[in-house]
Amino acid sequence: MVGDGDPRDGGIENGARLIRFATAVLGDDAGELKAAREDIAAVMGGAALTDTAAVAALFNAIDRVADATGIPLEDVKAEATADFRADIGIDAFAAADEKGHAA
Amino acid sequence: MTEISYQKLPWEVRDDITAAHRRAWQRLGQAGIWLTGAQRIAVAGETRTALDCQLCRDRKDALSPNAVQGSHDHTGQLSDLEVEQIHRIATDPGRLGRDWYEGLLASGMVEERYVETLGVIANIVAIDTFTHGLGLDPWPLPEARPGEPTRKRPAARRQLAWVPTLAPEDAIGTDDQDLYAGRPTAANIYQAMSLVPAAVKGFFDLVVNQYLPPQAMRDFDNEYRAINHAQIELVAGRVSALNQCVY
Repeated sequence: MVGDGDPRDGGIENGARLIRFATAVLGDDAGELKAAREDIAAVMGGAALTDTAAVAALFNAIDRVADATGIPLEDVKAEATADFRADIGIDAFAAADEKGHAA
Repeated sequence: MTEISYQKLPWEVRDDITAAHRRAWQRLGQAGIWLTGAQRIAVAGETRTALDCQLCRDRKDALSPNAVQGSHDHTGQLSDLEVEQIHRIATDPGRLGRDWYEGLLASGMVEERYVETLGVIANIVAIDTFTHGLGLDPWPLPEARPGEPTRKRPAARRQLAWVPTLAPEDAIGTDDQDLYAGRPTAANIYQAMSLVPAAVKGFFDLVVNQYLPPQAMRDFDNEYRAINHAQIELVAGRVSALNQCVY
């Protein structure tokens, strides 16, 4: 859902809350993770919290599958995303050279 | 036997997530294709140990992981080669490279074991990150069950990735054609661990339940979770950016 609320949401409802949780779950600040968790539960509900945790956790794993096997991004996806991958700095990631889609 | 349950949490966890985690825990202790149940449990334990490894911390902080030498803090149950594989994948996946992979290969790493080990790591990370996110301790690892690996290798070739993969067209007419359900194409991420088809099936049991089933991914007319498609992709994108994953 794209909205016109808090600009920190990036156009996605509760986007800032979700980014805060995704950042905290990969970090090592237990207090920040607890606060991020409680914020989502209070504003978006418990089911939203557990689904958010499920997605964050799954992608923390799937990134490792991609990176440890060296699979490239599909050509069609690489072509479709070439402009914004360069713009937002993804092509500067260390793995970009390894996967053949660096700028 | 550990019985995974999220019923004591103050928030609802979907039953399909709980069921998928229980299945993953059951598979974890069973003999796999290239690893025994005990070896799979050892890999799972090593994945957790890696998070407290000083060498891994020092490498993560260094400009290049190759700039820091030393020994991993480990459980002592696996070879140095396996420990290096597990710790690097667990703690610094964004800086893995073909040279690192080929270095393991030259040192005697067996690719089929590498891929099955990766599958175990992925399952542990997916479930442990979930419990961590919800403020729970990690689940105790299951008991290893007796049994021998089948050591059955599909008709995989080095074609798509560093590791050999089984192309959908090569699976047709083989014992592994169910992996792609007869489809002629599949996303690269689905093919990534196809050297060990059971690793793909096991991990994607978590994917469809923690993320979305394939038919739901691009069905933008309907929502399947308590967060919508845009919110799901925002979370996924943030995690992948933090992991510096370009896929």
